[in-house]
This record gives sequence, structure tokens and C-alpha cells, in this order.
Amino acid sequence: MNAGPVATRGAGAPAGGARAVHKRMMMAWMLALFFGVASYGMARTASQLVPHPHALEELSYYPSGAHLGVATLGHSESAADIAWLRAVQYYGGHRFTDNRFVRMEHVFDILTSLSPGFLPAYEFGSFALAQEGGDFPAAERLMLKGLEANPRSGRLAFQAGFLYFVKPGGRDFRSAARYFAQSARQPDAPPMAGRFAAFAEQQSGDLAVAYELWRQVALTSHNRYMRQIAEEQMDRIRDAIVSGRPQAAIKHMPTPIVILK
Amino acid sequence: MHSPAGSRSDRPVSGRAPISVTRSERDLAVLTQGLTKLYRNPWTLKVTRGLEGLDLELPRGEVMGYLGPNGAGKTTTLKLLTGLLKPTRGAGWLLGESIERPASRRRLGFLPEQPYFYDYLSGMEYLVMAGRLSGLAAHDADRQAKLWIGRVGLGDRPGLRLRKYSKGMLQRLGLAAALVHRPELLILDEPMSGLDPFGRRDVRDLILEQKHRGVTVLFSSHILPDVELLCDRVAIVSGGRLSRVASVEEIVHGAAQRIEITCAVASTAEIPAPWRPALAREARPQGCLYVLEREALLDEVLAWLVQSGAGVRAVVPHRTSLETLLLSAATADGAPPREPESEPERRSA
Amino acid sequence: MSALLIAQNTFRETTRDRVMAGMVLAGFVLLVVTQIATPLALGEGTRLTMDLGLSGISMIGLFAILLVGTSLVAKELERRTIYNLLSRPIARSAYLVGKWAGLTAALWTVAIALGLALWGTLALRGMRGSAPAVFEATYLAGLELSVVSAIAVLCSSLSTPVLSALYTLGFYLVGQWSYDLRELASKFPAPLSGILHIVADLAPNLPLFNMRTLAASGQVTSPLHLALATGYALLYVACMLSLANAAFESRDFK
Repeated sequence: MNAGPVATRGAGAPAGGARAVHKRMMMAWMLALFFGVASYGMARTASQLVPHPHALEELSYYPSGAHLGVATLGHSESAADIAWLRAVQYYGGHRFTDNRFVRMEHVFDILTSLSPGFLPAYEFGSFALAQEGGDFPAAERLMLKGLEANPRSGRLAFQAGFLYFVKPGGRDFRSAARYFAQSARQPDAPPMAGRFAAFAEQQSGDLAVAYELWRQVALTSHNRYMRQIAEEQMDRIRDAIVSGRPQAAIKHMPTPIVILK
Repeated sequence: MHSPAGSRSDRPVSGRAPISVTRSERDLAVLTQGLTKLYRNPWTLKVTRGLEGLDLELPRGEVMGYLGPNGAGKTTTLKLLTGLLKPTRGAGWLLGESIERPASRRRLGFLPEQPYFYDYLSGMEYLVMAGRLSGLAAHDADRQAKLWIGRVGLGDRPGLRLRKYSKGMLQRLGLAAALVHRPELLILDEPMSGLDPFGRRDVRDLILEQKHRGVTVLFSSHILPDVELLCDRVAIVSGGRLSRVASVEEIVHGAAQRIEITCAVASTAEIPAPWRPALAREARPQGCLYVLEREALLDEVLAWLVQSGAGVRAVVPHRTSLETLLLSAATADGAPPREPESEPERRSA
Repeated sequence: MSALLIAQNTFRETTRDRVMAGMVLAGFVLLVVTQIATPLALGEGTRLTMDLGLSGISMIGLFAILLVGTSLVAKELERRTIYNLLSRPIARSAYLVGKWAGLTAALWTVAIALGLALWGTLALRGMRGSAPAVFEATYLAGLELSVVSAIAVLCSSLSTPVLSALYTLGFYLVGQWSYDLRELASKFPAPLSGILHIVADLAPNLPLFNMRTLAASGQVTSPLHLALATGYALLYVACMLSLANAAFESRDFK
């Protein structure tokens, strides 16, 4: 059977046809280059003259992370990660400029609603709000939200205790002690949680509870140095109670303040 | 009454009682009884007849041409037989198997009108797939594919992707795909479509070769000389109904319907009375024309004209041609209702 | 056997599609981009890699289904290539099953390739022992894609490529929101509440195949969850393909 049709050049095709095509092609490339350079320049000028949205501005329009979660179609963890990247950029951007973190609570609220198990978000967000942000109540709200979502996290409970321990303007030893003790009861508690709980109770003035907590440390700690410290503190509490001077068992600690440079 | 293969025919169509078959499977390649396809418009509920009450018998080894004007129901019939359309009523069998069952297509080779293929495959890949889908084992399909891709003139570039094929190449590939699994029945819808004269010649040779091998062929075509050359019989469908089935031999070589005898001058004698119903005279500017409608009288009439000094110049017999049959079938049914147009017909309209 | 042949052909068709190759490339590019972004993540680079890597597998699979899978059957109907198949001794059900199987095989191939790339990236980052979480999440993503591709085959056998993509996307969205729909249903009065519950139950339960939250923290799910997800996927796929067959069986190919 015959093969398919074969393309042939028409008998009367002009010899200069290829040159005309080449010329038109070069013109098109030149035009593309010209318009490309022009639009590039225009974009650069516009970015300098026209105000553009700052990082995370768009997130401030979302009512809450709970509703945003529905829109992520099952990819809330990835959405939280992207929000985390933007949050870190936002923090860094303002930390080295105006030290104003107006939207930070809202951002971290969205982030942690998208991913309730994202512990570093609570930790970083709370301390940034409390320290640089100067908004301890917001920090407290964020941290308590984390604890509610992750009640068995010893790591987060310890951070909550520490948040109260270094509260700017006045340490809250009682709350710190409560959360350090909660942390010590969890399987993933940091090794120093028990010691911190005892110390915080002692600083809050509840010497009886503090004494008991130190006794637990002395009995359970695998670290000889820790056991030694625990026994020393127990001796100190005993001496203070016996001498009728409980203040002697409380160590004077400076009030935390935040200085942003 | 026995159905093909000695058992009752397959389950009823559209809730009607099973239709029995009298001929044995050995004789018939295609059998239809009352095969009907009606289309109902879901919005207007108007019913359009695609095909109605087709009773067709095609013995094994025969080549039948399936003719009709556009929209007559040819493609509808072929698609009903090949399972692409579901019949509204009636039944059909291919080589003894009901058309309702996929097994009826096991020994069938089908070439649709203007075939379309997977453009990401090469010609060779497509033929191997076609062979395997028709039941060939892998090595057999491979061997047959190599054979047929060469036979249809596409063997020089077996790896060429189908998206680069011309229309004619696609048509040839479609034929190869219809033949790759050694079918016993070929149903071809416009097999010459898109081919140049050389291609058409090759397709004719292919069909003849299959005929000599004993393969039954049913094909539709608008190219009547090819039909006359290839077919044993023709079936003419018009307006969704089978109009006529006739032997090509009778049509082409049968008795002449009309004989025109051109004479130099009119005969001086009157036409004898017994001949008057069959013989008429018409004046012509130069001479005279006698029209005889009974070939049996030809010798006597010629002798009479010669004797009467009319000067016979030419004797032209006119037989019924396929074209005439086709036209008369179409006009006998009036303007045929069109079958739902397939895309190629729409494009060509 | 016919279904297997059609599946092989569909696999070939899907994997030769440039769109599919582009999707796979996008998956690898996404992993590279996450590594570039990790310095900005303040120590959470591994989590970022895991989350975006797993999300990438699901989203890329979904895009592949919408761009390629939804036109599988519809394209054959439009282009009439289906004539060449159904005029052979192939049951229409075998055709549909073969189409689904071929598409799903291609999607699993993509998911496994991207899953392996993710595991390798995490190993390079020093996250030892991530294999169980990654492969479980990949397996569940593969099941999810199998379910969605069955929906795509159903829609494709009923409609044009564009419409079937829209319908498939609609099913996907309702499926992802099936739990939210149930919660919403409880806020409405009786007849509407019942209807919403039925819609939520009939929609594919896609959250069942989501363990990205667990995998983000390196955890694995329970064998019961895996078994339930597998069983549900098989049943839902069978249901979709049966519906497609019911619609296809009486269809005329004009």
C-alpha cells in the first residue's frame, strides 16, 4: 500500500519568504524584550511608591483559625506551617525595626487553631507576647489555650510555669509552681520540672508543700548533685520553720523587666 | 424451532418474549429479526426512527453491500450489530451469538466510520493492544501486528505515534486493527473513506482476499462501482427501513429494462399492434428513436426495422443500475427522516 | 483479562501525559523549596518538610485526577476512540474497571515516588525513624486518591471533561467537609438536619484517610484505622464503579 502524503515545497514559493519570517520573529523577540524590561522597571517603581500589604496583613482579615481550618481541606498542618513561616518573619521584621507586634496574638491564635498540637507555636508565641510584645494577658491566654489542647504535655506545662516564673513586672511563683508540678507529673516532663516546682512553691511562701516537693526530688532524682541541693533546701526550710522566720527560706530574686534594644 | 448453537436464544430484549431462530449457526454470519432503534427526545418526547423492523440474513462467506442515502440508518445498523447502540426492540446475532453479549464480537472485525485512535500510542502498540483485546495471546498479537502493519503499508515506521498519522494512514490502521485477530466476520463502515484511488484499490484487494478466505463481509459505502465489484448482494436501507435486498449479479447482468434503438429515419410501417405496449417511437432531430421495454422482442423488432428501411444505427440496452435502485428506494419512501447525526456527518454537513 | 489490558493501556496513557509528568516534577520541586525555606522556620524545618511533603502528595494527586483523570472516559466518548474498544469482546464494566485501575496505578506510582523522596529528605535532615509515619501517611493518601479517582471515572462516564472535573471537585470538597457537615446538621431543624446527615454520610469520608497531623509529630496510626480505611476505600470504590457501570450499560454511543 502507498505511504502517507509527503509534504513538498510548492513550486512557486518565493525565495525571500524565509527571510521575511525570520525578520518577523526577530521583531517579536525585540518587542518582548522591550515590554519585559519596561514592565520590570514599572514593577520596581511601583513597589517603592505604592504601599503594599505587610506580612500577615491578610491573616488579620480572617475571623478565627477554626473557620480557616475548614477552608484548608484537611491540610491544616501545612497551612499552619506556612502561617508559622510568616509569623516568624513578622516577628523578626518588627523586632529589628519598631518593636510593635500589634497582630501577633491574632496570628498565633490562628496558627494554633489550625494546628493545636504545634507546641513551639505556643512557646514562642507566649514568650514573644509576654516579653517583646509587652502583653502578658495575651501570652497567658495563648499558653492556657495550648495546655487545654495538650493537657498531657509536660513540656508545655513546664513552659507555662516558666512564663509565670519570669513574668515581667513581678514573678507569679504560685502559678509557676502549679504548672511546674503539673509538668512533673507528665511522662515527657523535663528532668528539672520537680526541682522547679519545689523552688517555686518555696518562693511563693508555701514552705510545707515546698518541703514535700524537695523530699520527692531527694528521693527520686538520679543526679547526685540534685539530691544534694534538695537536701540542702529541706534543711533550710526546716531551720526557717523552727526558728520562726519563714522569710529566711525565701530567696530574694530581682523583678524581671524587659529591655528591647 | 432451534436457536443458533442448538439452544434457545438469549434473554429477551426490552421485556419481550425471546425470539427464536430457525437457521442453524453454520449458515448465517449475521441475522437480525425486527431490529429497531428509536430515539426519544427527553424534552419534547418526540420519537425519531433510527432503524425499524430490520430483518436481515447474511450467510457465511458472502460479501454484502449496505447502501442507503445519508441518514438512512446504515451506521445505526452497524452500531447495533457491534454493540455500540442498544436496540429498542428486536434481536440480532453475529455468528450465532446474540449481539447483547460481548462474546458476539470475539470473531468480529469492525472498522467504524472515520476511526479515531489513541494518539499517544504508536501504530504497532495499537495493533498489539487491539489483538490482545480480541483474545489473542501476547506473542500471537505481536506477530499478527507486525504482519498487518506491513500489509497495510505502515511498516516502515511502526513506532510512529498516531498523532502524526494522516487520515489515510489512520484508515489503513483501522483496517489492520479489524483484521489483526483473524476475524470470521468483517463489518466495515465506509472503508474507502479518506483513501486515494491507490488506497481504495488496496482495500478492494484486501476485501477480496478476505472473501476468498471465507470471511463474511458487510460493508457500507457510497462508492457504487466498488460495491458492484465486490459484493454478492446489496441491501438498501432508506428512512430507517430495509427497502430492498438484491443480488448484484441480477442487477449488473440481468435483463435490460429498456433498449434504445436509434434509427436514421422512421420506419414507414406502423408499429404492429402486439408490440405497441412495449415499443414506442420518439422523433429526433436527426432520425428516430425507438424505445423497447421488453428485451425478448429485440430480435424481432430489429428485423422489422431493418426490413422496413429504418436504418438501424445504434442499439443501447439500459439495465437497472445500483444508482437507480438507490435513488428509487430513496424516493419511494419520500424524504427519509435523518438518523441522529454522528459527529463526522455533522462536520461534513 | 480485558480489564487488565485496558488498565495497562490507561496507565500508559496517564504516565505519558505531560500534565502528569509536570505534576510529579512539581512534587519534587516542592520538596526542594521546603528545604530552601527551612532556615526561616526557626528550628521547625523537619516539621515543615513532613507537612508540606505529605500535603504535596495529596494535592498533586488531586490535581492529576482533575486534569487527567476526569477526562479519561469523557475524552474517549468525545473522540470516539471508545468505538475501537467496545466493538471488541469487552464488557462495559471491564472497560470502566480497567480505566479506574490504570488511573489509580499511575496515582499510586506518583504517591510512592513522592513518599520515597520525602522519606529520603527527612533522613537527610536527620529525622531517623520517620519511615513508618511517612509510609502510612502515603498509603492513606493513596487510598484517598483511589476513592477520588473512582468518583472521577463515574463523573467522566456521565459528562464532559470540564463538567466532570467540576463534579469531582465538588465531591472532594463535600467529602473533606463531611465531619463539618454533620456538625452543621445538628444546628438545623428536623427535615433539613436529616438531609444534611444523609449527604454527609453519602459523601466520601475523606478525613478518614488523613493522618497528616499524626505524621507531623512522627507518630503512626493504629492498625484498626488502617484496616477501616482500606475496607471503606474498597467499598466506596466498588459503589462508584457500580454506579458508573449502571449508567454506562444502557448508554448509546452515537
